[in-house]
Amino acid sequence: MAELAETQKTTNQYLQNVAHQLTAPLNAIKWGIEAIKDEKVTISRKMRLLSSIYSQGTILVHLIKNFSLMSNLEADHELGQFREQPERVDPLRLAINLANDFQPQAAERGIKIDIGELSFNHVFGTKSLLAVKNLIAQALSNLLENAVKYADLKTSIAVQATFVTLAPGAKTAVGLAVKSIGLPIAPEEVKCLLNRGVRGTAAKQRIPAGTGIGLYIANRVMEIHQGTVFIQARGRESTFSLVFPESRVK
Amino acid sequence: MTEGAAVVLLADDEPWLSEALAFSLESQGLECAIATDVSSAVQTLQSRRVLALVTDIMMPGGPEFPKVDASEAGFYLIDLVRRQWPKLPIVCLSVIGDQQKIRSLTARGIRYLRKGETPLSTAVDVITAVATGRRIRLH
Repeated sequence: MAELAETQKTTNQYLQNVAHQLTAPLNAIKWGIEAIKDEKVTISRKMRLLSSIYSQGTILVHLIKNFSLMSNLEADHELGQFREQPERVDPLRLAINLANDFQPQAAERGIKIDIGELSFNHVFGTKSLLAVKNLIAQALSNLLENAVKYADLKTSIAVQATFVTLAPGAKTAVGLAVKSIGLPIAPEEVKCLLNRGVRGTAAKQRIPAGTGIGLYIANRVMEIHQGTVFIQARGRESTFSLVFPESRVK
Repeated sequence: MTEGAAVVLLADDEPWLSEALAFSLESQGLECAIATDVSSAVQTLQSRRVLALVTDIMMPGGPEFPKVDASEAGFYLIDLVRRQWPKLPIVCLSVIGDQQKIRSLTARGIRYLRKGETPLSTAVDVITAVATGRRIRLH
């Protein structure tokens, strides 16, 4: 009984959190529109409000996609196959497009997103990544979104392609890595971060509201691509990588 | 030491919301300062002349107050302001589920505006009145 009550409490807290995440951008959009309607607000400030509204819209779409993916991914996982067919994805193009999406939010915090074009050429050459584009786009977006939220002000986020060996003697895999300088992640927290609803202690302290589903979804996406999310944290530097088996490079 | 023009201090970790509010308040002639955590709010209180504090409840403590519980940091800021700047008018702009907490705020003379349900124009009217000591009648 006590266990049931505890589960109910956790679910309620989670739903409250989700509701907060969804309403916060909407509130900003509503007030942004009201401020734009104010005749005394200058044109340059109205333009700034318009770009904020656009940013909030992007955040909202991204968030809703995560929620809708959550149920679909569970079904795909049970089925053991993709709802959508894998296709040849140009990983460099994907990284550039997603970085552009997050550029306005990054700029608000003086953060630069650098795409390591040479690393992509080195790892992929003229080959593509065989993957479900929508899914890996969402997974990479989640890594970028976290980096933009938790990186220190005026730092750079590096997006690179890498060769990864997950364990000694294991086959080399390929990774899409997002590296940033910011919140430290305690070593004991690293393995829990991929669980649903889990957020790091420092992350909760910096940004109290959050759903804790971004990394969980990224990892779910990677599992159905026979890959994983690999986390390396040392001091204030952390690297989150989407790791694919080399067989997916074609 | 306090510098520059008197400001309305907006403490909220969602800067987009504060920005819309600040633009509207400034169009009414009230200059604003935005703080995204307790530390920067306190820094502004120490360095500038502040007419009123408008604060959210959920926000980070920031570098000077790392141990403050982020989910209730606004209450911490309100208590601190009441101790150090007892005459400063306070408006709480947040979503508080617990009615008891809302009653306790209003009993201490703090105006509570519910985020998401208060139109910007109403928030601007209330904050302007609180900051300038003008009486208002809300419909």
